[in-house]
Amino acid sequence: MKEQIIGFNKRIATMAVFVLFAIAFLSSSMAMAAIHSFSFTAKTLPNGQLGYAMGAADAEAVIPGPVLFVKQGDTLQITLTNNTATDVGFNVPGLVNSNTAKTKPGETQNYTLHANKTGTYVYHGDNNGKELLGLFGAIIVDKNNGPVDSFVNDDGSIVPVTQADIDKQFVLFMVGSTFWGTEIAADGVQKPLWAAPNLGAVENDLVRFHVLSIGPGHTFHLHAHRWLKTDTTTVIDTKLLSEGTDTHSFTIKAGSGVGPGDWQFHCHLIAHMEAGMHGSFRVDPAGGDGHSVVGASPYGNILLGTRPSEPGLVTLEISDEPASWFRSPRGDAIVGLPFDIKTKSLEVIYPGSSVNFIMSDTNAVHTISSLLWPTGAHHMPFNQTDAYRGGGIVKLDTPGLYVFTCKVHPYMFGAVIVDDPETEGLDLGNPAMDYMIDLVTGIAGLPTSSDLAVRLLRTFFVATSPNNWQDYSSGLWNVRFPTLPVRISGAPFGNVTPGGLAAPLSILNIVDAPLPAATPPTTPGVGEVWVNTQFEKTASKYKAGTITVVNATDWSVKRKIALPEINMNNPHNMWSNRDQSVIYQTQWFDNKLSLINRENGELIKNIQVGYAPSHVVTLPTNDDITIAINGENSIAVIPVGTTNISKMMPTQGQGHTSANPHGHWISADGSRIVTPNINTGDVGIYAANGDIHARTGTGQGAPGAHPIAIGMMPDSSKIYATNLLHHSLSVLDSNTGALLKTVNLIADYNPIDGSFADNDLNGEIAVGVLPIQTPVSPDGKAVVIAATGGQIVIVDTATDNIVKMLPCDPGCHGANFGAKQGGGYYAYVTSKFSNRLIVVDLDPNNTGNLKDAAIAGTISLVATGGTANDDTVSQLPGFGGQGILAVPTVYNGWVQNLPDEWKAGLTTAQRNPIGD
Amino acid sequence: MPFHVNPSSCDMPLSQSAIEATKIPYRLLCTQAAVGFALAMSISFIGIDKSYAAEHVINMTAEETADDGFGNKLLAYRMISHTVDGLDVTDRYSSDATIPGPIIELTEGDKVKLTLFNAIDSGYPVSGVSKQVSVHVHGVHYKILSDGTLKVINRIQDEGAGEGPENTFVSYEYEWDVAPGTAGTWAYHDHNYDNHNGSEHKGLFGAIIVNPAANPKPHNAFKYSKEYVLYLGDDAFWGVEIDSATKKQSKHGANPTLNAPKNTDVRFHLIALGTDLHQFTLNGYKWIDPGTPKLISQIAIGPLEKHVFYVRAKNSTQYVDNNFSNKLMGMKGNFIVD
Repeated sequence: MKEQIIGFNKRIATMAVFVLFAIAFLSSSMAMAAIHSFSFTAKTLPNGQLGYAMGAADAEAVIPGPVLFVKQGDTLQITLTNNTATDVGFNVPGLVNSNTAKTKPGETQNYTLHANKTGTYVYHGDNNGKELLGLFGAIIVDKNNGPVDSFVNDDGSIVPVTQADIDKQFVLFMVGSTFWGTEIAADGVQKPLWAAPNLGAVENDLVRFHVLSIGPGHTFHLHAHRWLKTDTTTVIDTKLLSEGTDTHSFTIKAGSGVGPGDWQFHCHLIAHMEAGMHGSFRVDPAGGDGHSVVGASPYGNILLGTRPSEPGLVTLEISDEPASWFRSPRGDAIVGLPFDIKTKSLEVIYPGSSVNFIMSDTNAVHTISSLLWPTGAHHMPFNQTDAYRGGGIVKLDTPGLYVFTCKVHPYMFGAVIVDDPETEGLDLGNPAMDYMIDLVTGIAGLPTSSDLAVRLLRTFFVATSPNNWQDYSSGLWNVRFPTLPVRISGAPFGNVTPGGLAAPLSILNIVDAPLPAATPPTTPGVGEVWVNTQFEKTASKYKAGTITVVNATDWSVKRKIALPEINMNNPHNMWSNRDQSVIYQTQWFDNKLSLINRENGELIKNIQVGYAPSHVVTLPTNDDITIAINGENSIAVIPVGTTNISKMMPTQGQGHTSANPHGHWISADGSRIVTPNINTGDVGIYAANGDIHARTGTGQGAPGAHPIAIGMMPDSSKIYATNLLHHSLSVLDSNTGALLKTVNLIADYNPIDGSFADNDLNGEIAVGVLPIQTPVSPDGKAVVIAATGGQIVIVDTATDNIVKMLPCDPGCHGANFGAKQGGGYYAYVTSKFSNRLIVVDLDPNNTGNLKDAAIAGTISLVATGGTANDDTVSQLPGFGGQGILAVPTVYNGWVQNLPDEWKAGLTTAQRNPIGD
Repeated sequence: MPFHVNPSSCDMPLSQSAIEATKIPYRLLCTQAAVGFALAMSISFIGIDKSYAAEHVINMTAEETADDGFGNKLLAYRMISHTVDGLDVTDRYSSDATIPGPIIELTEGDKVKLTLFNAIDSGYPVSGVSKQVSVHVHGVHYKILSDGTLKVINRIQDEGAGEGPENTFVSYEYEWDVAPGTAGTWAYHDHNYDNHNGSEHKGLFGAIIVNPAANPKPHNAFKYSKEYVLYLGDDAFWGVEIDSATKKQSKHGANPTLNAPKNTDVRFHLIALGTDLHQFTLNGYKWIDPGTPKLISQIAIGPLEKHVFYVRAKNSTQYVDNNFSNKLMGMKGNFIVD
């Protein structure tokens, strides 16, 4: 048989591949149970996606894979050769398969399947989500001689259909939020329609649809057409395709009862519709040609595409992997020479091609949302109302740079440059609009030569390339940008180069900047400092993230907790119970809360809580656990002493847009739960029982404020909320929710020329770019803000003015207070893209003057020989600093509940931070 | 051989309790239903006859509903008038804009002219390009000009009321042909507000219930005391209760308490919308999966699918979405039998 296949292949080697498909199709119409032999090769496509090719060694891999039509009782013998770099299987849920093993790269294996049941089946590569990159196809098993799916005629009659009656068939795969299509003509010839095609038919054509899905579920809807739910007499026009793999085949008479038109087909999940999951089924009047319009192809008009005349497609995989959150599947190739893009999260296409997103490597929900785009670009901003599981697709016509993020995880960045081939260098803005860009926050027409644009570009290349992170154990910092020339607005390129046009980005490089060794504070802290080193990778698990426990009495790294037994995924934020025996740990890129024994670092329980749990805080009144469900629309409650959620308290009224709360806080008296609602741009104030007390917008009329973290006065009087994308701090009345003040944290910065001046006349030149955590000191004197741009900003709560700025590291993120030995407090500050902890002393001289605030010391978060661990650190040592928790908890309302042995380490003032 | 669609071949109120009460194996009931189905098939050709067809003239608006007290508003349809062959039936509807919107009862063979007006304050909300609202209906026949979509989809014009990206209309008339083969419960919803996806998830949805044209089916021997349309949204059910005798629609809103007289037969019309997939249960009850002989106690349903079933009201219980988060958020309501 093998020889026959080879001979067969040689014979058709010079023929177009679709002829082979036609032969395979025709051969399947034999009346007797047949044995079909298919020669499959798994290949990597030009855009890095994977696909199956059938036939000769040089046959083109297609997505969806070749459609296999067989009859009930037939046998399929698949010879699979794997020419990709990953293990590939051939799994067919629902059919018996002789071989469930995967084929290793470079090897060949046989898979034998028995088509014992009629139906439509998904075959796929079975490789841990990589199959969503294109290793999927359809097997259609029809009755040996019997009819296929009947159709509903315009007079309501149900008309049986034979194979010979069918004018054309479509295979539509619903994957992520993208339709992938193949058209099968009446003669059996298969034509790839690729991604997001528009289908065509002539009125009264009998058209058979095979809709299949792999991954998260969908509902398929076709406008103005009806069909039968399989094996029932029920007429439907929408069909659920459940999570995992699912299929639905049906026949329609095109335009039956409704006539010609451009009838939309789409997934009916709102988030998927918003992510681009739709197409047109064009029914031409009699006499029309009824042709389909091919969609975007992985071979088409992209950097290194092989068919520049066709619309192309690049893909970005949404991943939980640090830095590679939007990862091109050809990332390893484009990072290397000669393209030297330096990041796996940047793709290059040409106008009219598309970008496809697929959430194939993540356990959470996300959005795919525009952060910036070329001024005047079509289809922008791209956004979805809710976070979801799936993907997205958008066609980009206008040259320039597009940056996408996830609103839930707003440092996940992916970028696409649409390059006008007529201009020299890669276009960073719209050439027709002087290379300007627009930002989601309402800033329009920003020159790409501006300092702000350059800072954003720097932020992108640092965040998405670990080689550009600050590794304090190396002593040197290097940031390298691509050597590719880029095209920007005519003015000077920030402060960097004259002329600006077509300068290589690498002129922004930072070379061998010295990084000082850690210098721990001379005065010890009290207890322990738990740091979520969210990006640190360990050997025995796939997902990233550890907890680094620092002993505050000697500043040593006491313990690394990776929890490989649960594949702990991106630990983000923590809190502890009253007696400080249990640490509550959120897994932000997952749907779990972990309970950890503080003394030995062992797992107590891993609890499902909803998607993307971000922060956890206990109620000071009863020690119940509250968790902000950042990917959804509620605050989950776990009653103290239990390990199950008792309720999820909605953060918005029924039917309203999900609030997606992130870094909540609770008033010291336990009466108010306060959430920064990232999706709706407001601060929500809720009673402890969940009643909505107030919701106050923080954007002052402009979009995209993105409130992300809350701090509260120890007397529960005021709320502080940072607005990540507005670079501002909102001050609200805790009781009424009234907005008292908005502090502009970049008032002293000129975004065009990058100069700094005391524009807000507070006596300090201070900025906080992209501010995140914002705790109020336990004594209520100051707010400490960690700002991603590498600043620590201190605000005096008496005046709500900025009083001081201190330097921080790239991706400065977490801040929280702990007790200083002998009295006072340290603010502990973490940074995502460095591996040290910064310790701030607000009052080093005991003068009470916040202007004296200083960095008391720094602590390396890298494990040492004396560090206990449950797994071996393998990559990104000490990186990803985000949530931080000092033990004991010293905030008013909680500190009073500490057991005596913890109170013993605190001064009288620390035990009663604001007096009696 | 062509035969006629009958959407519910096992069209009897077959709750588990009903079966137990009558001591009739449900297979036998199904056999009876199948006989009825065959009867319906033989007679339903008459259904095409004009004598069964009615002309519906409907006027509706799309409006903002009262906000939630925190500056947020939802959108909703309101029935202005509905005549059937000239007979005014408007009083069966709420006089307010409601979520769900009006439930429109039709019969195979009917024709509908529905005119939509836009009563949404043009200042709300600020985002988006399209201020136009539409009615996109599922299930029934209509030409492309009644698709209720924007020009970017239908390639002809913006088919709604108000200011669209390409066309502005004060009102828009949709013509539906409630043709044979369209019996069943179907959604209608906006497809034009804000953008080409519309704002169905902000409250602009309702339903049509299309009765089969031919009437000697067994189910007409049964009188449903109540009908309930329950939309499954992303955080709540949006329901309406219809009294079969008066056809009055009431109890609109989130997670309504539904009432049923004991030992009467009631019919549920489930439709989902939004982004979530759901697992619906009416705790303690089983029912026939429509179009099949299968008895089920749970149904998976995704956005814009429909699922219609009957039970005999025996015991009070709750209807629940068992989706992980929705259940914990309290997405359920009371079904009170008294």
